[in-house]
Amino acid sequence: MRLSLKRLALVSTALMALTSAAAAQQNVVWWDFLAGGDGVRMKALISEFNTEHQGEISIENTTLEWGTPFYTKLQTSAAIGEGPDIATYHLSRIPLAVDSGTLSEITDEDMAGAGISDADFTQAASDAGKVDGTRYAVPFDQHGLILYYNKDMLAEAGLIGDDGLPKGLDGLENFNKILADFTKDGKYGISTPTGDRYRTIYSLFGQQGGTMFDEAAGGFFPTDEDVTKLTNAIEVVKGWVDSGYTPVQVESPAALALFTSGQSPFFIMGNWEVPTMVDLHAKGELFEWGAVELPTLFENKAAWSDSHAFVVPANAGKDVDADKRAAVMKVIAWMDQHSLDWAGAGHIPAFNAVRESAEFQALKPQSDYAGFADTAVFDPRTILAGPAAPLGDAWSNFINPATTGEIEPADAAAQMRDDLNGQL
Amino acid sequence: MSAEAIPNREVLATTRSRGDGPIDMIGLVLTVITILVALASFFPIYWAVITSIKPDGEVISGSNSLWPNRMVFDSYIHIWNNTNIGIWYINSMVTSLIITALVIVSSAGCAYALSQLDFPGRRVIYVLILACFMVPMQALIVNHFVLMAQFKLLNTWAGIILPQLIVPVVIIVYKQFFDSVPKEFREAAQMDSAGHLKILFRIYLPMNWGVTASLAIITFIGAWNAFLWPFLAATGEATMTVPVGITQVKDAYGIVYGKLMASAVVAGLPVAVVYLIFQRRVTQAIMLSAGVKG
Amino acid sequence: MIVVGWEAKMLRDKRQEYLVALLLVGPFVLIYGALFDWPTIQMAMLSFTKAPLIGAGDWVGWDNYAKILSHKLFHQAFWNTAYFVLLTVIPNTLISLVIALAVNRLKGPVQGFVLACFFLPYILPVSVVFLTWNWIIDVQYGLVQGLVALFNGGQPISLTRTIPLFMPTVAFVTIWWTMGFNILLFIAGLRNISPEIYEAASLDSAGRWRQFQRITWPLIWPVTALVLTIQLIAQLKIFDQVYLFSIGGRQDATITLVQYVYKLAFQQNKGGEAATAAMLLFGMIIILSVLQYQLLRARGEK
Repeated sequence: MRLSLKRLALVSTALMALTSAAAAQQNVVWWDFLAGGDGVRMKALISEFNTEHQGEISIENTTLEWGTPFYTKLQTSAAIGEGPDIATYHLSRIPLAVDSGTLSEITDEDMAGAGISDADFTQAASDAGKVDGTRYAVPFDQHGLILYYNKDMLAEAGLIGDDGLPKGLDGLENFNKILADFTKDGKYGISTPTGDRYRTIYSLFGQQGGTMFDEAAGGFFPTDEDVTKLTNAIEVVKGWVDSGYTPVQVESPAALALFTSGQSPFFIMGNWEVPTMVDLHAKGELFEWGAVELPTLFENKAAWSDSHAFVVPANAGKDVDADKRAAVMKVIAWMDQHSLDWAGAGHIPAFNAVRESAEFQALKPQSDYAGFADTAVFDPRTILAGPAAPLGDAWSNFINPATTGEIEPADAAAQMRDDLNGQL
Repeated sequence: MSAEAIPNREVLATTRSRGDGPIDMIGLVLTVITILVALASFFPIYWAVITSIKPDGEVISGSNSLWPNRMVFDSYIHIWNNTNIGIWYINSMVTSLIITALVIVSSAGCAYALSQLDFPGRRVIYVLILACFMVPMQALIVNHFVLMAQFKLLNTWAGIILPQLIVPVVIIVYKQFFDSVPKEFREAAQMDSAGHLKILFRIYLPMNWGVTASLAIITFIGAWNAFLWPFLAATGEATMTVPVGITQVKDAYGIVYGKLMASAVVAGLPVAVVYLIFQRRVTQAIMLSAGVKG
Repeated sequence: MIVVGWEAKMLRDKRQEYLVALLLVGPFVLIYGALFDWPTIQMAMLSFTKAPLIGAGDWVGWDNYAKILSHKLFHQAFWNTAYFVLLTVIPNTLISLVIALAVNRLKGPVQGFVLACFFLPYILPVSVVFLTWNWIIDVQYGLVQGLVALFNGGQPISLTRTIPLFMPTVAFVTIWWTMGFNILLFIAGLRNISPEIYEAASLDSAGRWRQFQRITWPLIWPVTALVLTIQLIAQLKIFDQVYLFSIGGRQDATITLVQYVYKLAFQQNKGGEAATAAMLLFGMIIILSVLQYQLLRARGEK
């Protein structure tokens, strides 16, 4: 029913002429990049919203390819006044989006109209949605890199503690030794998809206390020490590849399969694969599993992190329609208030009331790794940051290939620094 | 070649039959190899179709059987229910047909004028067309986009159609054919005081009906298959064409292979059907467009 | 009197002819003027400004040209495109010729069937080609991985994410996709070679290879030259397959010239620089096209 309605709405958009008749209901055009388990859960939320607001607001959602294709389409569409009414966005990329004029300001009145305010989020999250004090994004979640583990395999190796959680994983040499022990009989010690390794490397860089960006000190990786720390981090992951603990080239689905088929006891991935594990386990197709914070291989705890947020594209040449804006804000507020379902996708809700609720606290394994939020390393606040941005490009052009031996780690680190500073 | 080498019929016959014994074996082997390679070339298409009618579980079972153990159409039902492929289909069909009609009509008219009429600027226009033949439309994407944005034509059928109307080869082929129509036909018609439009539509076009059909079919296939421009001109889902929609919009989760293959089959079907029905015309059109008389 | 009347009729006819010509040529002139000449002029103008994709920008003279020509990514795009051309043009032509020779031997329905098998891929949209092959080479479940494993110590390998394998893989798919076109042209050329020439040669008891060397190859050469130049210019404009196969991968490592224009304009919002890159591409293709035209004309005069 919902789908045929959505299709009808699209036909009418295509035919233009028919839309004026349906003015009573606000159609909110929604774009996101949420695939996999995220996509399933978001679609369910949207469906629920549409049912609840029938005759009042209807979300017409489109899911585009994550990353560059999504952000390219959004930026170009907004520039010609053809963007959606609402879109998902990464908080790390807000400075770039504001610089290119893609986003429309969300005022305190807009927020108040939908019954939310900055106080509903952590200070850090609501600040991340602002540039020079002007709000452009409403936070939705925080997500980060975590360690998935095969409880059966770890238990056999004596790595499960009395609390049922993994123990004794910290320390570089120690962890490598564990991986080495698991690497045998065609099994791998750890599964890390090639295209995502930069996240691990950035986490390990953070664990050494490295500074990625300091405008006053000269830009990206301001000191030689920072470059060395980045090199060290690359060397760790390259070491896993070189020692055969992890395959050289492996794409995300295959990396996931390595873990779920029991070929690897560990899997470093974003928390968004949690629903995949939950679903498989519920179907009886997965061993006992869990997820915890990344092990501390250097001095400090740290893990790569970013946030999903909602934005309102600034559609060039289109006046802001107050009714439409109110409807969009209602969608945003509703999504945040119902983000417990979203937490099922492994994310940590940005909305305080949900995150602090007993229901969220009871979710497993979410609570086992929620601590990463306190020691998270984010992208620096610069217009070069975010996915589908120079920083994201640099990660995949220099750092990922350095783990497969295409570039020497030290060269990769230096090239990344020079490339980014050249674009400042 | 020396005169002695010229054989009489008898010698020729014996030479042949003598040569045929061993050569026939080689010939047979060559034929078999050719057929096998042809089947291999066709195989990817076959594999896409077969994958689309296998149950998800069988697709990833690793059995890779050449025929589905159980034939299901779940993938097709899924894409019908979960994507807007129906709308993309309408967009593709409408834009391709309009492009075909406009290109054929404007090119035939222009070619007739260039071929049969004398008017100032004739040479200039012909040279322009030849020049256009060389220019890469891909290089113009930026300014086509800017132009369409200025006229608010992005995300409309018109915006997708307009830049695709530049198909100079159709004019060139038409002109060649009109040039070869004997002048007497036109002169006889003019005696009957028939106007030029009448001559074009009553004599020249019907005489070259086969050419028109070939050019129309290849223009349609080209428009249906276009990727780069529709990909840029349609920023929203509602105006995407099939080739753009099936690669840009994500609607399938989990085991996606069968669903992706179903959308590929559906996208390729119209042009495949057109080709299979009009094989001869397609072949002719390709030779014409390359300047090779078939 | 009669003469004057005739002249008047001539004059009237002439004027009518102009009018008809205007009517017939008008749509074409409008379409090409608005969608070809105008954008081309605009592109040239835009290439001297520092404009975003949509909107005006300051005049910067030749700055963009200096910048693009020294841009590392432009060089990367240039060499990637050249590499792709190298991987497709000559192999495609040779494979097509061999297949055309093989198909030309056959007769009747078998020939029709075989030709259809080779030609069918050519009429498919690029998206279909991409989806089909992306499935066949899929790392986890792709059919080809069985073969790949033989050469890679039993391990599957991503043919499109392993950068050195990307272009060869896409080139292979492109050859599979487009060779039907070349095969058709070659068959047309082969049919134009009169059978008597072969008959005469077979009396010399020339072997198949010598026959090919001495008769087929020289006589088919004009078509070969045509196929080579058509391919060359078509592959210089490569975007679709390379873009589709590189989504989600390291796009910069496999970027081509049209993709570079796309990146500047639509990803980085640099309209001026994108126009500059487009002008450079434009220039390269025009030069090659003029060469092609000369070649074809030379053939026509012969």
